Amino acid sequence: MTLLRAQGLTAGYGPVTVLHEIDIEVNEGEIVVVLGANGAGKTTTMRAISGTIPRHGTIEFQGHSIQKAAADAIVRAGVAQVPQGRGTFPELSVQDNLLAGAYVRRDGSKAIGDDIRKWFSVFPRLEERATQRAGSLSGGEQQMLAIARALMSRPKLLLCDEPSMGLAPLITQELFNVIGRLNREEGLSVLLVEQNANLAMHMASRVYLLETGVIVASGSAAELSADDSIRKAYLGF
Amino acid sequence: MELFLQRLVDGLSEGSVYALIALGLVIIYRGTGHLNFAQGEMALFSTYVVYQFGEWGIPIGIAVVLGMAVGFTLGAATEVAIVRPISKKSPFAVFIVTIGLFQLLNWFDGAIWGGQQLPNSGVGSKQVRFPSLFPNAPTDFVTIFGANIKVQSLGVIGLVAVLTVALFAIFNHTRLGLAMRAVAANGDSANLVGIRTGRVLMASWGLAAAIGALGGVVFAGINTNVNLGLMFTVFIYASAAATLGGFDSPGGAVIGGFSIGIIQNMAAGYAPKWIGQEMKVGVAFLVMLGVLLVRPSGLFGTSRVERV
Ligand SMILES: Nc1ncnc2c1ncn2[C@@H]1O[C@H](COP(=O)(O)OP(=O)(O)OP(=O)(O)O)[C@@H](O)[C@H]1O
Ligand SMILES: [Mg+2]
Repeated sequence: MTLLRAQGLTAGYGPVTVLHEIDIEVNEGEIVVVLGANGAGKTTTMRAISGTIPRHGTIEFQGHSIQKAAADAIVRAGVAQVPQGRGTFPELSVQDNLLAGAYVRRDGSKAIGDDIRKWFSVFPRLEERATQRAGSLSGGEQQMLAIARALMSRPKLLLCDEPSMGLAPLITQELFNVIGRLNREEGLSVLLVEQNANLAMHMASRVYLLETGVIVASGSAAELSADDSIRKAYLGF
Repeated sequence: MELFLQRLVDGLSEGSVYALIALGLVIIYRGTGHLNFAQGEMALFSTYVVYQFGEWGIPIGIAVVLGMAVGFTLGAATEVAIVRPISKKSPFAVFIVTIGLFQLLNWFDGAIWGGQQLPNSGVGSKQVRFPSLFPNAPTDFVTIFGANIKVQSLGVIGLVAVLTVALFAIFNHTRLGLAMRAVAANGDSANLVGIRTGRVLMASWGLAAAIGALGGVVFAGINTNVNLGLMFTVFIYASAAATLGGFDSPGGAVIGGFSIGIIQNMAAGYAPKWIGQEMKVGVAFLVMLGVLLVRPSGLFGTSRVERV
């Protein structure tokens, strides 16, 4: 079943149009990867979906239009974004960052507390630093916190913008393992932007290639890596 | 010793007013990064409103609560109608606009309550008697270690202490408080977790103005009257208090406010005669300057780490 369907999605900043009528779909249970060079419009795509910038076209989530919805309504509908560059709340403790992630939930502090414990068991390093200011965490720890914070809203769709940026290969691998496990075990759907294409392709159900605001190719990971020119340009082998 | 105690208590009670205005400045600065130059004048407007309620026979206790509600509305409306649209265009313009608001409010107060003064000529403006929240007859004092301490001073200090504790409980243990701290830390991310940043900023301005209203009422009560110039120096001391404590630290604002109040009263009390009362202002600034040289972000402020 289609979870997210964007058609003719156009967005930009002020007078500048960055995305030109792109079509993107995420089906339930999929991990969809968006590849593209710097400045191609990957982050802009994420922002257009999460409602943090103005956009045109149709965007439907679970069959309902979210094109006019404000960012907070989109979070409530079940879409959470991990912004590029982490975007944690540096002055807040790790614990408060997670609580803020649960801001839209109305199911009581007990359920929220259970979820915090759950993400602490997935990311034990966060538990050790529960009362520490998020700004004092290492880059990798902040990335874990950003992902855990997004998951605290219990999203159906996670928008993940370059989670591996600035991380050591081992930590990146660990993060991707967690995302893969959440996808398999909890049915979390993911729209993933990644520069580390090789790693991302391994877990991708489908891939979109974005070039200066236009989708130039899409298909399964196998299909795209079979194309020589695409492989050279994006996968580097 | 008695004199020292008296000066200490006087300093604390005046300082608590600076603390309240400084708290408002800090709440707004943390939320939106703006210095609200009109913070003192917003408080003065609400104070006049409380005076008016009193004239209409409403008991002072109720009038203060109503005045704080009026203050809240004024602050919230200012954010929505003026600050928000302008800060989208130019953040610096907001500062200029709050200066304009400062003038406008003072002129407005003057037109209604202050007689026919020219705007901003607080000096010599019509004074109206203002009731104290606490007993304030010449006989209303208690003797502590031989010092005669006014009941009013103790009441003011107690009230501000209770309010401060309540505010910190709101900051640290409520949904609104969490939202305010999240917006202060990173507005874009606050949006991404589903916080309506607009509403939080509106509430922050409202809260700041409501606290300011209480500050104005307390100060008018200490003064026993209200006039157009009432908040001019208070605002300057409150700015000094916020700078001293750190512009992004509510706790710092409170401690800064009390410190400025005490330093100022001690300096006025112990300075040699030939220096005179004007010295009060100077000492507060010397202290502030000294702190800024050593710790530019204030005593309790965080030097913000640049966001990536
Ligand atoms: N806040 C902004 N205001 C104006 N233009 C912007 C803004 N953010 C991005 N752009 C422009 O939009 C274009 C696409 O940017 P975007 O951030 O979406 O690229 P990206 O694919 O995420 O790149 P990267 O891999 O470097 O993160 C760029 O040309 C950029 O200059
Ligand atoms: Mg990007």
